[in-house]
Amino acid sequence: MCRMKDMSYVDELYIAPCVQGDLLEEEEIVPRKYEEARRAKVDKFYKALALFYFFCIWEFISYLNVRGGWFNPVFLPSPVTVVETAYEYLLNGTLVLHIGMSFYRMILGFLLGVAGALVVGIMIAMSRTWDNLLSPIINMVGPIPVFAFLPMFLIWFGIGEASKIALIAYATFVPMLIYIIGGIRETDPLLIRSAKSLGATSFQIFTKVILNSAMPKIFEGMKMSLALTFSALVVAEMMGASSGLGYIIVNAKNWFKMADMFLAATLIGLEYTLFYAFLTLVERRLFRWKMAGSSNAVEK
Amino acid sequence: MGTVIEYLHKAFDIVDGEPKFVLEDVNLKVQDGEFICILGKSGCGKSTLLNLLAGYLKPDKGRIVLNGEEIDGPSADRGVVFQQHALFPWYTVRENIEFGLRLQKRQDTKEMATKLIEMIGLQDYEHAYPVELSGGMAQRVGIARALAPDPAVLLMDEPLGALDALTREAMRQELIRIWQLSGKTIFFITHSVPEAVYLADRVVILKEGRVEADVAIDLPRPRNMRDKAFQDYVDSFARMIAETETEERAVCAE
Ligand SMILES: Nc1ncnc2c1ncn2[C@@H]1O[C@H](COP(=O)(O)OP(=O)(O)O)[C@@H](O)[C@H]1O
Ligand SMILES: [Mg+2]
Repeated sequence: MCRMKDMSYVDELYIAPCVQGDLLEEEEIVPRKYEEARRAKVDKFYKALALFYFFCIWEFISYLNVRGGWFNPVFLPSPVTVVETAYEYLLNGTLVLHIGMSFYRMILGFLLGVAGALVVGIMIAMSRTWDNLLSPIINMVGPIPVFAFLPMFLIWFGIGEASKIALIAYATFVPMLIYIIGGIRETDPLLIRSAKSLGATSFQIFTKVILNSAMPKIFEGMKMSLALTFSALVVAEMMGASSGLGYIIVNAKNWFKMADMFLAATLIGLEYTLFYAFLTLVERRLFRWKMAGSSNAVEK
Repeated sequence: MGTVIEYLHKAFDIVDGEPKFVLEDVNLKVQDGEFICILGKSGCGKSTLLNLLAGYLKPDKGRIVLNGEEIDGPSADRGVVFQQHALFPWYTVRENIEFGLRLQKRQDTKEMATKLIEMIGLQDYEHAYPVELSGGMAQRVGIARALAPDPAVLLMDEPLGALDALTREAMRQELIRIWQLSGKTIFFITHSVPEAVYLADRVVILKEGRVEADVAIDLPRPRNMRDKAFQDYVDSFARMIAETETEERAVCAE
């Protein structure tokens, strides 16, 4: 038994230099992990390039359309026209107002929704009584499309900002709640036992173990809910607003200003992407403990 | 004062109207500073006994008394080390070890943690997260974390079970060293007979929820697994645990 082990060891040593001769050459060794980080940077560049190509192709098609006269160019304004429109808005000073108003509504609604979901989610996940009292209601009301509530919100909260922000907050609240409750409930019971045996009180277990453990899932929820936050933002601004990116779209529709619609849509996409990227950045900072050891399933 | 287990019964399920006891009439008296190994094959109730000692489970009948006080729930006077290290993944090695000390609001948290990190030899890894550690390193952190709040008793549920043979061997020696340094009472669960004989002052053999044997190991330390006397202990324990001869050989070989 022992001898066999020895032999195979010798074999390996003997064969290795023969078969893989270049292993013996002097060569700078870069661990795969670093190579992977470099590759991730290159990926980012390609992703930016893809966006650039998208606009190029769009521009090219609208150019061909103008030359070829396939359909009325008003239907498909070129990116340059859209940028010109943006410049017009900028000159008359309303661009910043519209973007600012949309951002203000979005961020306020989003934060209120997340905060509300945190309060209710913690109540439901930590207390049986609240779970029994609230969960059936939420399970019934939650799946109703948020936009079905818009007219009611308008009547309850009036035509001003309150109804819009309430709708956005509610649209964020529903999906967030599921992630928060899930995150809390998924806490590894072994970690709770550990903490108890190290002398933690129930409150300390909540703040030091359960919250930490649920945080990644809560962040995942924020990123997922963001899409609904933005839908609610646009819908809210399309009904009874006089500013904001959603307002530009309905207003442009009335005057058949396609370029304005494209501009607003692009800006909504941009705002979403930027905020999403911001959340991802915060996530990376906060959850280094999760990323630290991780790498590809299989190194390439 | 020590630990006293009296008339301990624990059942999870009811079968044919009768509770199906996982532990039945377990009695044990343990002196302070003793190293107790609880030995038995899978499913005999070892973990259940340890969970009762830790306070995660409550006895159905009987009681466990530690230093004159009946155990009622987990507390910092009984440190626990699990088979899976169960470190807090969001804390670094140092933060994990400091966890229990901080809860006690101790002034010397930093120095205590430094000492423990030196004891387990992980000075270079004190700022690493658990995901970056190997199995053996993580388990050492688990032991240091359990020792930090200075518990009277250390409870270990197959803490070396997930490690390879070489690491396990090194960890056994280290554990003996830590035990001799700290003078704590240790309840150590294992299904490995040689491991139990190597580590324990006393081996308690559990079989189908009852104490089958309670044997003091009368060998000087450090022990040598190849000694005749050592093998005799292993053989006699294997005979008690195993039901057939093949089983017996398998148990010895481990
Ligand atoms: N929470 C539980 N519910 C029901 N049965 C359990 C539970 N925990 C353990 N058991 C049963 O109790 C017996 C002993 O389990 P355990 O103490 O984990 O054994 P060991 O650690 O010795 O392998 C097993 O038959 C197991 O199925
Ligand atoms: Mg077990």
